[in-house]
Amino acid sequence: MESIVAEGLTKRFNGFTAVDNLSFTVEQGDIFGLLGPNGAGKTTTIRMLASLIQPTEGNAYVGGFSVKDDALRVRETIGILTENPSLYERLSALENLEFFAKAYGVDESQTRDPRIRELLEFFDLWDRRGDRAGTFSKGMKQKLAIARALVHEPSTLYLDEPTSGLDPQSAKDIRDLMERLSQREGQTILLSTHRLEDAERLCDKVMIINRGGAVSVASPRELQQRATGAHVVKVGLREVTRPLSEAAESAEGVESLAVDGGVFSVTLANEGYTPGLVRSLVDAGGQVMYVVPLEASLEEAYLKVIGGE
Amino acid sequence: MRWSKALLVFRKDLSEVARNWEVMAPMIIVPVILTVLIPAMVTLVPDSMNGSNNGNLMDSMLPNLPEAVREMLSSYPEGLQMTYIMLVFFFAPFFLIIPLMVSGVIASDSFAGEKERKTIEALLAAPFTDSELLMGKILVGFAPAMGVTLLSFALYTAMVDALTFGRFGFLLLPNLTWIVMILFLAPAASLLGIGATVIISSRVKGFREAQQLSALLVVPVLVLLFGQAAGFLIMGPGTLLALTVLVLVVDAALFGVGVSLFNRERILSQSH
Repeated sequence: MESIVAEGLTKRFNGFTAVDNLSFTVEQGDIFGLLGPNGAGKTTTIRMLASLIQPTEGNAYVGGFSVKDDALRVRETIGILTENPSLYERLSALENLEFFAKAYGVDESQTRDPRIRELLEFFDLWDRRGDRAGTFSKGMKQKLAIARALVHEPSTLYLDEPTSGLDPQSAKDIRDLMERLSQREGQTILLSTHRLEDAERLCDKVMIINRGGAVSVASPRELQQRATGAHVVKVGLREVTRPLSEAAESAEGVESLAVDGGVFSVTLANEGYTPGLVRSLVDAGGQVMYVVPLEASLEEAYLKVIGGE
Repeated sequence: MRWSKALLVFRKDLSEVARNWEVMAPMIIVPVILTVLIPAMVTLVPDSMNGSNNGNLMDSMLPNLPEAVREMLSSYPEGLQMTYIMLVFFFAPFFLIIPLMVSGVIASDSFAGEKERKTIEALLAAPFTDSELLMGKILVGFAPAMGVTLLSFALYTAMVDALTFGRFGFLLLPNLTWIVMILFLAPAASLLGIGATVIISSRVKGFREAQQLSALLVVPVLVLLFGQAAGFLIMGPGTLLALTVLVLVVDAALFGVGVSLFNRERILSQSH
């Protein structure tokens, strides 16, 4: 089931095209990464999908509601972490969450209070619940802003740089939380990030945008494979012998072989030939220690895609 | 429009305002000066109501007062006549400064301040309609402005009557003129402060800039003040009702413009 459908989304500001004809879909429960350099149009895209600004052309549907015609329903459906934490610094952490919980229709205190407590405890802010948000560190503000986005248990979450300003442990907690929300609770997450390792680990699909247009939409793995070009596997062997080299070279689908110490780097016609290669080596008496597909990282893939633009 | 949502925005903004001393200080200091210090100075400082300047003021204002007032005052010495004119007529326009100032300061914080503090995006992303947001923010300017105005009027009345009853033998306030001013013209003035600030806030980036520009709203009050001092007009109930209608017309025009400027996209583009 599709949670977000964008159809030719375009936004122009005084003749400048910030987002140009974006079309994509995000399935329910997926984490969809929005990658791109600064000024690529990620924030404008999120704002259109949150019905904060109207598309100049095209439309998008969030939970089945049009961002153009059902703005209020779209805003009810989503939780959003904006570029800035956007917290009321003169109000306490508790007051911030209570205000937004009520704004999103969590009116019953028997539902609201445990939910707020659960979030504040998860983010280690319960003991500071009565303190003004203005006294919080950058990381604590970021956590509180994420708690605010989650307070009404939205089916779709937009997170703009959620791990920005967080220490490594907190960043890991947020990544784990995103995984849990996506996998166990079926929440759809639109993640805008510059942390490509986060996208690589978390996203089911990523869209790389540049100068407002979509450059590539694929899974991180597909992007990595495209960037790598050939299918190369590294095979670690206990001992390298001439019969093993010959067995590898003559295995089906092998295009070339390079030997470096106890490691074969084998270029295959496609990844489906990997089991046959391993079988040939074992049949020739080889002791295979490990087999690792050699792929570009998402960062390398991203740089290649953006560089090739 | 869902009133519960508008009231939610109102209560949130009120909590924020109450914790901002830049907003609270003028809301406390100005009314204290007007309601306590001025009547105390007029009635308690010896000879403050004598002197050539006061004589000029009395010469210009006294002939324009209603006949019944002139007759009543004729039986009092000149110093008391001056005390009466100052406390009941001359200072009356000052009380319009309170609703204008309080509503202007709060609305500056609520509209321009929220943009400046970059809290506006999460608010605009929440499921409020434009009218709910706007009504919540208008209420947060209006309700405290009227609260402070009514409290100031009650305090001023109590101070004036306590300080002058022994000399006049009757209560100077409240009278019909003041009641009309506080119940009709003051709310209209408060809305004027908010309407003007909504427009100002849409053009500026920060609270202080909005507050400074909204301070220009006291100019019409000064016109009233000097108009009375020069003898051009006396603020009677009829004049005040006519002024109320005029201000309400201006309010309607300002709010018409303000509503058209209250646009999520425009607000967001200014907050970055």
